[in-house]
Order: sequence, then structure tokens, then C-alpha cells
Amino acid sequence: MSNAINPSAQGKTYWRSLDHLAETPEFKELVEKEFPDGADELKNPVSRRKFLSLMGASMALAGLTSCRRPVEKIIPYVVKPEEIIPGKPQYYATNMPFGTESFGLLVESHEGRPTKIEGNKNHPASGGSSNVFMQAEMLNLYDPDRSQMVLNQGKNSSWNAYRSAWKKIAETYTENGGEGMAILSESFASPTMMRLSEAFMKKFPQARWVTYDSVSDENIFSGVQAATGQLAQPRYNFKEANIVLSLDSDFLQMDSNDIPNARDFASRRKVRSEKDSMNRLYVVEGTYTITGGMADHRLRVQNGQIGMFAAALAHELSAQGLDIKAPRVNADFDKKWITVLARDLIHNKGKSLVVGGRRQPAEVHTLIALINEVLSNTNKTVSYTANPDMQASSLKSFMNLNKAMKEGKIESLIILGGNPVYQAPADVDFAAGLKKVNYSVHLSSHVDETSANTTWHIPEAHFLESWGDVSGYGGAGIIQPLIAPLFDGKSDIDVLADLVSDEEVWAYGVVQETWTGILGAAGFEKAWRKVVHDGFLTSTRETPVAMNKSRAQGVVSMSRYYSSTVSGNEMEVIFTASFSNFDGRYANNGWMQELPDPVTKVTWDNVALLSANTAKQLGVKNEDRLKVSTSGVDVVLPVWIQPGMADNTLALELGYGREIGRVSTGVGANVGVLRYASGMNIASGFTAEKALGTHTLACVQDHHGFDEEKLAADAIQERLPAIVRESTLSDYQKDPEFAMAFAEKNELKGMWKEHDYGEGNQWGMSIDLTSCTGCSACTIACQSENNIPIIGKDEVSNGRDMSWIRLDRYYTGDVEDPEMVFQPIACQHCEMAPCEGVCPVAATTHSEEGLNEMAYNRCIGTRYCANNCPYKVRRFNFFNYTKDVPEIVEMAMNPDVSIRFRGVMEKCTFCVQRINVAKIEVKNEGRGLEDGDIVVACQQACPTDAIAFGNINDPNSEVSKVKAQNRDYALLGELNLQPRTSYGAKLRNPNPDLEAEHHAAEHTA
Amino acid sequence: MAQIFPKWTNKAPLYAAVGAGLTLVVVVGLVWYYASPWYTDVGYRPAQPVPYSHKVHVRDLGLDCRFCHTGVETSPVAGLPPTKTCMNCHNMVKADSDKLALVRESFKNGTPLEWVRVHKSPDYVYFDHSAHINVGVGCASCHGNVAEMDVVAQHKPLSMGWCLDCHRNPDDHIRPASEVTNMTWTPPTNQAEFAAKQKELLDIKAPITDCTGCHR
Repeated sequence: MSNAINPSAQGKTYWRSLDHLAETPEFKELVEKEFPDGADELKNPVSRRKFLSLMGASMALAGLTSCRRPVEKIIPYVVKPEEIIPGKPQYYATNMPFGTESFGLLVESHEGRPTKIEGNKNHPASGGSSNVFMQAEMLNLYDPDRSQMVLNQGKNSSWNAYRSAWKKIAETYTENGGEGMAILSESFASPTMMRLSEAFMKKFPQARWVTYDSVSDENIFSGVQAATGQLAQPRYNFKEANIVLSLDSDFLQMDSNDIPNARDFASRRKVRSEKDSMNRLYVVEGTYTITGGMADHRLRVQNGQIGMFAAALAHELSAQGLDIKAPRVNADFDKKWITVLARDLIHNKGKSLVVGGRRQPAEVHTLIALINEVLSNTNKTVSYTANPDMQASSLKSFMNLNKAMKEGKIESLIILGGNPVYQAPADVDFAAGLKKVNYSVHLSSHVDETSANTTWHIPEAHFLESWGDVSGYGGAGIIQPLIAPLFDGKSDIDVLADLVSDEEVWAYGVVQETWTGILGAAGFEKAWRKVVHDGFLTSTRETPVAMNKSRAQGVVSMSRYYSSTVSGNEMEVIFTASFSNFDGRYANNGWMQELPDPVTKVTWDNVALLSANTAKQLGVKNEDRLKVSTSGVDVVLPVWIQPGMADNTLALELGYGREIGRVSTGVGANVGVLRYASGMNIASGFTAEKALGTHTLACVQDHHGFDEEKLAADAIQERLPAIVRESTLSDYQKDPEFAMAFAEKNELKGMWKEHDYGEGNQWGMSIDLTSCTGCSACTIACQSENNIPIIGKDEVSNGRDMSWIRLDRYYTGDVEDPEMVFQPIACQHCEMAPCEGVCPVAATTHSEEGLNEMAYNRCIGTRYCANNCPYKVRRFNFFNYTKDVPEIVEMAMNPDVSIRFRGVMEKCTFCVQRINVAKIEVKNEGRGLEDGDIVVACQQACPTDAIAFGNINDPNSEVSKVKAQNRDYALLGELNLQPRTSYGAKLRNPNPDLEAEHHAAEHTA
Repeated sequence: MAQIFPKWTNKAPLYAAVGAGLTLVVVVGLVWYYASPWYTDVGYRPAQPVPYSHKVHVRDLGLDCRFCHTGVETSPVAGLPPTKTCMNCHNMVKADSDKLALVRESFKNGTPLEWVRVHKSPDYVYFDHSAHINVGVGCASCHGNVAEMDVVAQHKPLSMGWCLDCHRNPDDHIRPASEVTNMTWTPPTNQAEFAAKQKELLDIKAPITDCTGCHR
């Protein structure tokens, strides 16, 4: 590639330096050598003058020629596709597979490259919202460390070479029916993959198919299978539940189907006035999750004891008259809590819901199904369905595969995605097993731990580059590519179809073939186009499965689980899917690594989470190093004390310690080496001891706050209840205006003349703290939409994190057992903004429509505006954070937003690019703006619809109605800054019988 | 005692001061003009890879601007025509001309033509063509009389000050929709009246002068 400037189709040029400006041959020659001829004299200090004159000449030449405008090219199409209007983005619906679940997406594409992922508004599962994983996939697509070539034992090869090598081997298998061949895949729920896997097993009946995920819902499926007699999954209907009990289930974020569950759950917590009701959430958990943060009542119980708790609850339900036989347990739980809980559940029979988390063993899930059944919840708030297109993970079959590999029984192994060497349990040495396999293939996005040990490595195409399909919540859907594979990657359908068929096939044809079966051959073209356009087919392919109460009861009664678990005094270790990396798939994703964990607010590292008491016992404090060992293996992790965690529990995050690229290397430690098959989720038999040294962690929880020791610690403590205004539903009903009561009575006069904002569009926002779960989807959506840079761990430690919307997390109440509340804060767009008056160059001004504007090209980096902002929402580019961004990552940037250079201040703009584009579009069409035409990125991502944005001059707009509610208040309203963003006070709905305890805890804060 | 300084030195400081002041004013004025887009950008007329003449196609043959620059009413970007648009005629008209060799090559090989961009605002400025065309700003208002150009030259500075001159006082530049591509339109005597009526008809108030109108 020449040094030539390569503009995008819109003709924008980015030139790194003067070197690029002029392309005269003389100049090129001059700068090709770093120092021109004669510059060896540099070594002789006497010739400094000569050096200067030489460099001066080249600089002068550059300088002179740079008086000319840089030549920029415009490159149109040769044949322009009809549907593309350069300059206007297009939106395509597709789906994102995620284990056995999927998300419906609408992806924005600029000139043929996808730039932003949104939820598909019409998809029943997402309703237009996103979660952090959906947003993060944008950067995964443009990962510069993605594998780019087919490798044959580490050497570059090609897809055709792979195919011809396979053809030779396939001959033997066609004869012996596949004896000695195995496929290892990740779990999936896809009609095409299921059809192909069935075709494969038909062609090679002696082969084996193994499915394995390191984080899966396997326990839930097993538990439900015991209760129903069939492989089935629970489907929740939170909309109908008045009472929800979560037993270690982070259903608002980390467990499956978090988006529809969060949305349905929050829909029962929308309080418009004191006449509305709320659902009630009880959470029993060992760690602190955001679901626990939303709880009205939370009980800390060690994870290994939660099954006992469920049994104790079943006892109580039986004592209160329900027909359930609970196993005897010998554990001690808060009697009052259980009694009140049981009473509440029974009182809401048919309208309650008990949910179990994926880490709990199968026995607990069977008991949960039984409890739901006796509470008459089955087929009301929970139902069970069988998905014919689903292939679920099975640890047992994976262990068997590994045993067969060790015994040399597997000659050929094709691994479709996943990373078994990294993700296998610690007692499986998958790499050693691979050595005994003659021919192994790994289809993977990076040349990772597994690919280093297989014969062939095939680069995996991202789902945004492939044809495929999904089947799950809300129906079945098509995955359509937004861009041709960047690195000639192949999807799992490509590889599998190649194994099954004799000729070369294209995934598109294969998927179409599956869907001819689903849609019918008559009128297929039209029906196909409709499904591809919509993204999904509403008629579900899942079949209902009936609950079998007697079967479940039998399994529970005979289970030995309840009498055999660990006592509460022994240290338990739990392995959690990481909020940032999940099972490791986002380890090389800078956005995710830098996104602070919602509860701990730690970025870039994984930590050993433990409670304050446990830390005291072990003699460690924050950032100390802890050596966690079992069976002769140990891992050293930094300590992080988590208030509200159960004692004697150590929570370790999976997915770290990978070295697949520039972002992942050196970040965190791989705890997978401690994860044995007997304790994949909750394990015992560990020792933990303090190790030498400390490990600095980049935690953002105290950033942008005032130094409490030096400044007004008491005053700040006094103010916090006014910053996050909280109450209970019953108190709110007695005193609906409580949110206003916090406001200080003395009103400051405005610092300057007030402007009349009575006319035209006036943008405002309101964030409902009752709905905000703290999931952080807004933060990462904002990062994707506004090209916010990644700055790295060191800079985050310096307090320079760049997210425009930060999610403050406050603990309230008892230090050991606090409650948690989240408050997302972005620029408040104050009408009397203190930042605007202090800019010496008027780089930040106020628009006619109420936006606090930022003109990046004017900013000289005084930082007085950030100093003056009381909310501390302004972000400064201390360095040129985009200097070393690889070209492929530039493709992920949104072209509608400027990229900021060093020395420039930035902040939330209320997505002014979306406002402008919508205004122009609407004006071109000759109509007025309607409420809902403009949806800002954070608002669009939020699964619980906590953020309302729109025109406050329009009394019928959603945001006006929300702002008119009596729970709505302005943050730091007493400063009379008149911010356009306001907050809806947080309400909880505690049970009055337990409330006395709750209140007592609050007042000790 | 002899005078050290001749008489004229009495006035010297005054002349020096005035001279320096005038020089300063002249230098500032020169920089103000010569360093501004009025000098550096107006008249920019780069050589294009293919000698496409607007004079021939627009003035003589009567093509409308929108025949090729199709994005102008719907998109922020006016765009250049794809090679196919050229070939629609030129596979028959002047099919063997040497001047069109690059065009034919582009069409045959599928490699696009690389035109040199003439009108450009900085990367941090987001200009939207459709917003302007749809309220009646004519092509010639910013691009000059393109129909008379053999080689496209930049006619106006496209600087922020120049944009604001119109944004703050747009009435003279609003045309009826039919006149937008008319290269020789001049505002009629009743322009003020017409502009007022047009603004009401299209329901447009003042054009945006806030920073974020263009700087995002």
C-alpha cells in the first residue's frame, strides 16, 4: 500500500503528519531516508549546524508545499447499488447468537460497514434494547488481533488446502461410518446448525458430537429435565409476577435472556404516581449482583447453602399449607425472613415467581420448579419449552470425549468455535489430549490457546459477517451479514456444511434450504425476504413442555444433595462469568475491559471478591494479593472487598489471563486452572492466604468525587440523601412529595440573565432511578455511538476514564449488608451552565434548543469548564488516545461524530448528531418532529426504559410527562443551575412485616 | 555646542510610529486576506483525471445538476456519479474518444475513478446538502456558475464566516424550488416578500446558528 492518502467514500482524509501532505517525488525521496544524505555527520557534534540545515531544508520543502491544499480524492462507485445513498446510513436486521439464546439486532451500516448495534425494536425479546455484550460485539468484529489466515500447523495455508486435506481423510470415514471422528461445538440454538448436525450424524453414525460451554445453563436444563421428564428450558414471564424470589439468579444481567427479563421486571416497577403499585423482589445470593441491588429484601447466604435455603423455604411453604414435601435440612436461616417470604409468595399464588441462577446445581432447579408448581406459577409466570433447534452443553460428554482422546480413540477432531484448552475444567488436559489426535481442526476467531495445538486453524467469521439463523425467545430469526468477511473467515455453518456435503456449498444456500423447510416452498422468495427484512419470524418453534409434579417431588425427596453439602463455615469458591469478558470471548475487547463492573467498579483486572469479615480473617485489604489454591494449583489475585457479600465466600471471575491480542495480554489471571469438574460453579476444598506484594487496581468508584478527608466530609454525607433520593412505596404513598422535600429552601439567584426557552424544541431527559438496574448498557452504547476512546489501565487509575455517562453506585445502610443504588450521570445540560461562562475561547456554548454544546476545534484545553462543573461530567483528552488505533478499529467509529484530539474537552452532547439528522430528515419530508423521532443512544440501549428523552416544550411528550411526576427532581437543584436532566427518585417496595428491620438498618448508616 | 542629532530626527519617532502602525495594519490586512480561504481556497482548480467539462454537459447539453449529483436532495453528501452514469451515454456517444479512456477502463475493470475533491470543509464540520437544497438555496450560491466551468474551480471560500453571512441573513438566497439548479438566477425585486412567504410555506424559521448545527 502506498503512502497515498486513502479517503473514505465520503472523502474525509486523515493524515498523520506533514509527511503525507505533499507527494512530490523530490519530497518523497527526501523523507524516505530518515536523515537525508550527508546526515552521518550527525555523529560529529561540530556538524549540528549542517544537520539543522539539512532538516531545515526538508522541513522548508514540506512547509512550502504544505501551503498548497492537500489533494483529497473523491472515489464514487463504479456501479452504485440502488439502495445505498452515500452519506445516509442503512439499517439491517439480524440476530446475535449467544449460547442457547439470541438477541434481535438492528445494525446501522455506513457505506457498507456496520458501525452501531441496536436492539431490534420489533423483536419480542429485545424490544429495541441492548445489553453490554451486544454493544461490545461491534469492536469484536473489528478486532485487529483476529485471525486472518487459515493455518496448517502454524504455517499459512488456505481454505482450499484445508478442503483437499479433509477430502482425503473423509474417504475413510465415509466407509467406516465416522468411527474415530468427533465434533466439539459450542452450544447453539439454530435450525440450520441442528439440521446440519443431524445430517452429519446420519452420514457418520459412528462419529460423536460433543457440545461444551464453559459457562452454560446446563444445570438449569438438567434440573428442569428432572422435573418435566424432557430436555426443556424455563421461560419467565416477569410481567405477571407480583413477587419475585431470586435464588442466586442475576436475571437482570448475567443470566440468560437478561433483556426481556429486565424489561418485563421493570415494567412492574414503573411508578407514575402514588396510585401505582410495584412488584417486590427478594434476592438470596452469596455475591452482590445488580439483581441484588434491585432487591427490596436481600439475604446473604453462601452460594453452596442456597439449595438448603430453598429446602427451608419449601418446609415453610408446606407448614403454611401447600402440598410439598421438603427434604430435611440442618441449616440455620433467618426464620422471620423465610416466614414472611413464604407468606408473601402464597398470598400471591399464581402471580409469583421463583428463579434460580445457572450456578446452582440441578437438584436446586428441580426443587425450584416444584416450588413454582405448588405456588401455581407454572404456565403463568414460568413455563417450560423444548427448543428443537437447541444443542445444549454437557460437561459429562465433554469429559468422556477427553477420556476417549487420551485413549487414542479419536483420530479426527473438529472444534467449531469455543476454546476448549482455555475453557476446559482443570482436571482435563485438553492440550495433551489433542496431541493424541492425528487430525484436528479449530474454527476460531483468534489464534488462541486451542489453535496453537491443532493441525488446522480456520479463522472464524463474526456473526456480522455470516449467514445463519437462530431460534429461541420470541421465535426464529435469520442472521444476515452486514459486511463480507474481513479476513475470509468461515462460519460454523460453512465448515459443517463442508463436512456434510461433497460439493462446495455456500452458507447462504444452506440457510435458505433450512428455511424452505420452515416457510414452505410455495411463495418462498417473498416469505424469505420478509424474514430477512424483519430479522425474525414470530411463530415460535419451541413446544410447550408440561411440568410433572409427582416426578419432581420424587426427585427432590430422593435427592441426597440436601444432606450432603458444605457447612456454612467452610470457605467456598465460586466461579462467575465475568461481566467484562463473559467466558473470555471479550478478553481482547477494549470497551469491555475498560467498562467498570457495575458493582465493584473495577476495570481491567479480575479480582478475588470477598466480604469484609472474610478479609479480616485472612488479614488482607483491598489491593493485597491473595493466593487461592486447591489440589496443588494456585492462582494469585488482587483482593477486593465487596460489602454485602456472604462471609467465607470467594468469588473468582472467569475469562481473564488470556493472551490473544494487545488488549487481553497481561490483564487479570486465569482462574480456570482452579476449576475442577466436581466444582465448576461452586467449589470447596480451597485455601486462601495472603501473598506478598500489592496489585494496583484501576477502580473508578471514587473518581470524580471530592476528597473527603480534605473537603467537607460531613457536608458531603449530608448531601448524599439529596443526591440519590430514595424512599419506600408505602412512604411515598403517604408522602408523595417526598422527593421535593430534600431540596434546600434557599434559592440562589441566577448568575446571568435567564434565557427564554419557551419556543421551539427544547431537549430534556429524565432518568428513573427506580428502573435503573445498573447494567451499564447505556455506558457502552454511548461509547460506541460517540467514538469514545479506550485509555488503558494506567490512565483509568489516574482518574481519567472517558465514559460520558458514568454509572455511580452508592451503598446505603449497614456496612456488612448494605443496599445498592445506581445513578447514571451524564452532562446535565444546565440552562445556567457554570461551564459555559468560564471558557476563555467560547468553545462551549448553549444552543437555542437547550443543549450545552461543545465545539472541539475551538477548545484549547484550559479545563476550567471541567473544574466548574459540579457534576464532574466533562472528560478531557489528556493524551492523543487515538494515535495508535489500528486502521481496522477506525472502521468501528461513527462517521457522524468527530474524533477528538489531544487537549480537547468532551462530554455528553445528548447525541446531537442524532438530533440534527432527525431534524433535517423531518424537515426534508415536510413534517414536524414527533416524540420518538429522536432516540439517544443511552435511551435506546436501556433495557428497562429508565431514560426518557425528548422535547420538554411538548406537553404530550414522554419526557414531559415523566418530568411532571412528583418523584422527579433535579440533581443539585439547590445550585439553581436548572439542569435539563432530572431523576426519578428511587423507590423500593419492602414487605411491611420485614420493613422494621429494613428501616433499622438504614438509620445506622 | 554642536547638535548631535539633525533636525529631522525630531519628527523621526513620530514617522516611525506612524509608519510602524501603518505597516502593522497593512501586514494584518494582508494576512487577513491572503491567509484566509478567500485567497487560499477561492480559485482552486485542480486537474482532474478525466477532462470532464461541466460547460459541455450542463450548459450545452442541458443536464441538470441532480442527474449526476443524486444525493443532493436526500443526503448530507451530494456525491459524484458512479462510472455507470457516464457510461449510460458514453457507451454510444463518443465511445472511442481518448479522453474517455479512463472511464471505459474503470467500467471494464471495476476500479473506480479517483476524482480530485474541490469543495471541502474541515473534517469537524458536518455540512448537509439536503437541508440546504430543500429550503431553496441554489447550487450556484455556493458553487458559482458551474455551467460555465470547463474545469471545476472553487468559487466561494466556504469559510465559517462566509457561511454565517448567509445563515444570519438568508432571505436573499432563498429561491423557489424550480430555480435551485438555475445557474443564472438573480434575486427578483420582490425577493424579501418572496422569502417571507417561502419561509412560512416551508415552515422554516431561521437557519441554525448554534455551534452544534455544524460542529458535532
